[in-house]
Amino acid sequence: MVRKLCLALAVAASALAISASAWADITILVPSGSEGDGLRAAAADYAKLKGTKVETVQAPYANVFEQGANAGATKSGVFDIILMDDPWIPFFAENGHLEDLTSYFKKAGVEGPDNDFLSKSLAICRNPYNEGPYVCLPYVGNAQMFFYDAAKFKEAGVDAPNTWDDVLKAAKMLTEQGGRRYFGYVFRGGQGNPVVADFMPIFWSYGANMFNEGRTKVTIDTPEGAEAMKMFMALRDVSPKGVESYNANEVGTAMAAGTAASSINWPNWVATFEDPSQSKMVGKISYSPIPAGTKPGSSEIGHWTMGIMAASKNKQEAFDFMMWATSPQQIRISAERGNPPVRASVFTDPELTKQEKFRHYPVLMEAIEASTPRPRHPKWPEIENAFGIELSKAVAGTIKPDEALKNSQAAVEEVTGLK
Amino acid sequence: MLKSDKGTAAPLRLGRGMEQWSERHLRYLMLAPTVVILLALTIFPSIYMFYAAVHRVSPNPDLPWTFVGVDNFARLLTDGQFQVALRNTVVFTVVAVSIEFLLGLGLALLLDKFIRRLTFLKTVLMIPMMLPPIAVAITWKLIYEPQFGVLNEIMFRLGLPIQAWAGDVNLAMFSIIVADVWQWTPFIFLLMLAGLASLPVEPYEAAALDGASSWRQFWDLTIPFLKPVIAIALLLRVMDALRLFDLVFILTGGGPADRTKVLSLYIYQVAYRFADPGYAAAISLFVLFVTIVLSTWFMKRMRLAE
Repeated sequence: MVRKLCLALAVAASALAISASAWADITILVPSGSEGDGLRAAAADYAKLKGTKVETVQAPYANVFEQGANAGATKSGVFDIILMDDPWIPFFAENGHLEDLTSYFKKAGVEGPDNDFLSKSLAICRNPYNEGPYVCLPYVGNAQMFFYDAAKFKEAGVDAPNTWDDVLKAAKMLTEQGGRRYFGYVFRGGQGNPVVADFMPIFWSYGANMFNEGRTKVTIDTPEGAEAMKMFMALRDVSPKGVESYNANEVGTAMAAGTAASSINWPNWVATFEDPSQSKMVGKISYSPIPAGTKPGSSEIGHWTMGIMAASKNKQEAFDFMMWATSPQQIRISAERGNPPVRASVFTDPELTKQEKFRHYPVLMEAIEASTPRPRHPKWPEIENAFGIELSKAVAGTIKPDEALKNSQAAVEEVTGLK
Repeated sequence: MLKSDKGTAAPLRLGRGMEQWSERHLRYLMLAPTVVILLALTIFPSIYMFYAAVHRVSPNPDLPWTFVGVDNFARLLTDGQFQVALRNTVVFTVVAVSIEFLLGLGLALLLDKFIRRLTFLKTVLMIPMMLPPIAVAITWKLIYEPQFGVLNEIMFRLGLPIQAWAGDVNLAMFSIIVADVWQWTPFIFLLMLAGLASLPVEPYEAAALDGASSWRQFWDLTIPFLKPVIAIALLLRVMDALRLFDLVFILTGGGPADRTKVLSLYIYQVAYRFADPGYAAAISLFVLFVTIVLSTWFMKRMRLAE
C-alpha cells in the first residue's frame, strides 16, 4: 500500500514538474538582479489584473543567454518571452529564435512602438540595427554613465571630468595620496564581458570602432585604437591592485564603500549608492555622461529588451503582455522599482525627477541618446570573448598594449571571417 | 472449511501464476529503472555526443546539421585557446593532486595514532569536501577579494604588500590550487587513514626486531601496503581535477590573461556562449579519451600493487 502510494506520488510529482510551465499562459525568462525582479513584479501585477497565469523563470546573467539559446535551438517553446541584453539580439534574431513583431503591431492597429520611447532604445530593438523589423521591445533603459566623487575630484583640481585627461589627472593624484587604500579610478578588468564593457566607451571616445561602416573590415588595430588603449592603460595604473579580476560587484562595492573616486558604471547601481544601508556615499556621487577623448564621449548601451520566442505557443498573449509592460504607466512603475526607463515621458516626469534617487535621470537620458551599441553581430559572444582575452592580457601586463590590439584584430578577423 | 477452501482456490491459482511470472521476470523488472535511467542519462547523451562531434551544429534549428568528419577534432590541433586550456588543466591537475596527496598522506601518518580516538576531528575534516563546490568557490572569492578580503586585511595589518590573489597572472592559478587543496586534502587524508588502520601489525614487529629504521619501515612496508589505496585516491582525484569548473568559473572566469582557463570552462564556453556544440562535443570526447587512458593505466598499476 505504502509502495503504491509512493509510486503514485512520484508519478504525480514528475508530471507536475514536467508540465509546470504548461500551466502558465505565459512563461518569461528573466535575469537575476533588479531587471528580472522588476519584470517579475510586473508579471505578478498582470496576472492579478487580467487573470492570466504568468510564470517567471529567473536565472543568472549568462544562464539567461544559454537557456534562451537552448530553447531556441530545440524549438522547445518552454519560454514565451525572453528578457534579453541587447547585444544578444542579433544572435537570437538571426538564428530564428525571435518572432518578427510587425504582424502583431498591425493586428493591434499600430505601425510600431509609439514615439514616447527614446529613439536609441527603439533602434536596438530592430534587426538589423535601426533598419530591420522590430524583434523586441525595450524594457530597462541601461546605458553607462560616469560616476565620480565630485568633492574628491575638486580637491584634485578637477571641477567636472569632461575629458579622459581630466579623469586621469584627478585619479592619479587621488591614488598617489590614497596610501594603497584609496584609488582615483576603478574598472571592470575581468576577462571577457567585464573588461570589454569598460573599454568600449573609451575606445569610442577616441574615434575608434571595431568594424568599418559597412562591416567589411575589422578596425581595432588603428591609431585611434592605440590612443584609446594608451588611456586605458594609464587608468589601469591608478586603479586598485586586483582590478584584473573585477566585475560589476567589485566596482560597485568599491564606489559604495568610498574606496574609489570614479568609475564607468550602469545606472541600476544608483539605487545602491543612494541607499544608506548599503552605501557610505549617499548623496556624494555625481553622475555625468562618458568623458570625451579626441571625440565626444559615448556610452555603451545595455538595454534589457523583451522578445517573443519563435517556438512560443502563446505568442499573442505574450505580445499583449509586452505591450502592457512597456506602456508609460508600467515603465513608470518599473522606474520606481529601480529600473531605468526607456520612455521620455518617464525620464522627464517632474514627480520623479524632483526625488533625490532619480536625480541622475537627465544625465542618463542624455547618455542613452548619445550611446553606441556593441557591434551588432550574431557572433558577438565569441567576438567579445576573443577581444576580452587580449584586453585582459594587456591589463595584466603579460603583453604590450600594441600587441593586444594586433592580436585582437587577428582574433576578431578569424571569428568573423573578415580579412 | 471445505467451502472456504473452494472459495480461495481460484485466487490461489492466479497467485501461483503471478508468482511464477514474477520469478521469471522480476530481475528484469528490478533492473528496468536502472537501465532506463542509464539509457536516458548516459548512453543516449554519449551517442549524441559522438554524433554531434562529427557534425557542424548550427544554433538555427531550421538549418540541418552538416557532416564534417574529423574536422572538429582537427581543430584541436590549431586552436590556441584549447591548447592554453589543456596546458592549464595539466598544470592544475599535477600540482593540486600532488600537494593534496603529500599533505593528505603526511597528515595521516602524523595523526594516525591520535585521530582514531578523535571522531570529532574526523567529522570536522570532512566538512570542506561535503560543502557544495559553489559555496567553497564563493567563500574563497570573499577571502581573496583584493580590497575587502580577509587575506589582504591580514597582509595589510602585518605591513606586507597586498596581493591580487585571483587577479594577478602569477598568483591566480596558485589561488585556485590553494582553494582546491583546502577542499580535497581531507579526502586523501581520510582514505590514507583508513588504509593505515587496516595495515597488519606483524610485519612491523618483525621489521622492528630486525632493527629496521622507521624510514625503512615506511618505505618498504607502509608504502607497498598502501599502494591500492593510494592508486584509488589518486585515480579519483585526477579524474575530478580534470573536470575542474566551479572554482575557476566563480574565482577568475578563466582570467586573467587566460591563465586559469581550464578544459571544462572552455567546453562550456564553446557549447553555450559560442553556440558550437559540435566542437564542444569533440573537446569533451578528447577529455573522455584522456580520462579513460589515465584510468586504465591507474587500474593496471593497482592490479600490479595487489
